[in-house]
Amino acid sequence: MLDILTAILIAGLTTGALYALATVGLSLVWGSMGMLNMAHAAMLTLGGYSAFTLCTVLGLPVIAGFAGAILVGAVAGGLLYVLIVRNLLKTDKATFESNVMIATVGIGIALENAILLTYGGQPLKQPISATGSFILGPVSLPYQNMLIVLVVIALMAVIALLLGRTRMGRAIRATAQNREAAQLMGVAVNSVYFQVLVLSGAIAGICGVMVSSMTQLSPPLGNDPMLKAFIMCVVAGLGNLPGAVAAAFGLALLEAFVQYVAGARWGFPTLLFVVIAVLIWRPAGLFGRVQIRRM
Amino acid sequence: MSASTQPPVLSLSNVVSGYKGLQVLKGISFDIAAGDFVTVVGPNGHGKSTLLKTISGLVPLTSGAIRINGEPAPGKPHTIAGLGVAHVPQGDMLFPEMSVLENLLMGAYLAPSKAEIDRRLDEVYTLLPKLSDRRDQVASSLSGGERRMVGIGRGLMMGGQILLIDEPSLGLAPLIIEQIYGVITELSRSGRTILLVEENPARVADLADHLHLLDDGIIVWSGPPAELLARDELLATYLGG
Ligand SMILES: Nc1ncnc2c1ncn2[C@@H]1O[C@H](COP(=O)(O)OP(=O)(O)O)[C@@H](O)[C@H]1O
Ligand SMILES: [Mg+2]
Repeated sequence: MLDILTAILIAGLTTGALYALATVGLSLVWGSMGMLNMAHAAMLTLGGYSAFTLCTVLGLPVIAGFAGAILVGAVAGGLLYVLIVRNLLKTDKATFESNVMIATVGIGIALENAILLTYGGQPLKQPISATGSFILGPVSLPYQNMLIVLVVIALMAVIALLLGRTRMGRAIRATAQNREAAQLMGVAVNSVYFQVLVLSGAIAGICGVMVSSMTQLSPPLGNDPMLKAFIMCVVAGLGNLPGAVAAAFGLALLEAFVQYVAGARWGFPTLLFVVIAVLIWRPAGLFGRVQIRRM
Repeated sequence: MSASTQPPVLSLSNVVSGYKGLQVLKGISFDIAAGDFVTVVGPNGHGKSTLLKTISGLVPLTSGAIRINGEPAPGKPHTIAGLGVAHVPQGDMLFPEMSVLENLLMGAYLAPSKAEIDRRLDEVYTLLPKLSDRRDQVASSLSGGERRMVGIGRGLMMGGQILLIDEPSLGLAPLIIEQIYGVITELSRSGRTILLVEENPARVADLADHLHLLDDGIIVWSGPPAELLARDELLATYLGG
């Protein structure tokens, strides 16, 4: 009984950590600029393959793989702003939300296919992974899972400090809460948007490394975490970061439990059921703001 | 108070602006000298807020020119904020999920140093002691009067000498309005230049040096507030008696 419970708990916490990381990247961008980044999945994948290239192909140490994934993700986010988002923002604000969604769907597909052409479709092994387990009496805790949970907790702390305590973080939150007022205070919202996409890209990069270390590298790697992240965002209320993290862990534990009790194929339908129920009961999400702020 | 050799701190000439498909301001011209208190009154929906938003850069200029301290105003609101123009917008526009203190600190976003931020914070807490008591309270849970004070305090944290204040009495109880105007009076005495928008000219009768009556995007009358209040026909025509 104890081993079953710990198995569910370990699986739930690990996927919860991964979902939380994917969700934070997505939610940050939505909350501060009203942009649903459909290319987020491909940015995750890009991070995973960057680490693979640096460590397996070039033989560099693990830390370089991590750093490289973060850097590539950040650059991808920055380019997304400079090449696409900046130009879409110049057009009608009212159509920005739908335009940027369509544009990023296209970018996501192009990026995924570029990865497919470069690396092929066969699954590859992510070199950044820990083997073995920590044995504590009857319970065994895989180092891999512990690593993921610890890295995610550390990252969450960094992101929370960045948003909560720094001048840049305060400007990001101000822009999310009232864009015009932030401008009046001297915030250049375009550079805030740039920073947000760079930050979100960096988070996506490291998230891709973590996700692929649990499974394998493949071009559609980011799609499942992104889909789940979207569900977490909706359940939590779009743009609410602490809520999104709570939803990620809560739903991942629920998913792990249902998968164990009813079988793996019931995990996802259960999540969808929760989303529908939440949307009927509380359309703005569990922790959602009363109204969703738009551009 | 205004030395004639100095250029006006704020100068509007033939300002035309508005929103997509709607021209709101149809050629506004006036100057404000350093330390002056100027009020714009006019009926609801005739462009008072648009005027302030055009000066602070939130609404782009269609044609005409705005000069700040003699220099052409840059187009973007964040650069105009850097020139010492503090816009205290209608309805406060606070950051609802931030504390009072964080709202104030956002006002000092462009402040050059921590010491300067502390100096301004001291000044704001002295003028508005209530904000000091409420510093950790989240803005969305404040009363209307407290919110107005945060809005004004946040504008002061910008450290600018030109204040654009939009309907400071809107939605407040008479007693609170009196308090808010007490604060504005002190700000004017401190030498700041104030451009204030109101619907009710009686409120600024003792305060403003000069008043512009705005009707449908143009200035239809200018003069001392007391004179407007004595002109029943103007009040009847433009402000509904
Ligand atoms: N963001 C906006 N988009 C389109 N029209 C607007 C916007 N803000 C105000 N208006 C319109 O501009 C006109 C002037 O509004 P405003 O400047 O707010 O008037 P006032 O402050 O004098 O009440 C009104 O007709 C109003 O409906
Ligand atoms: Mg108004």
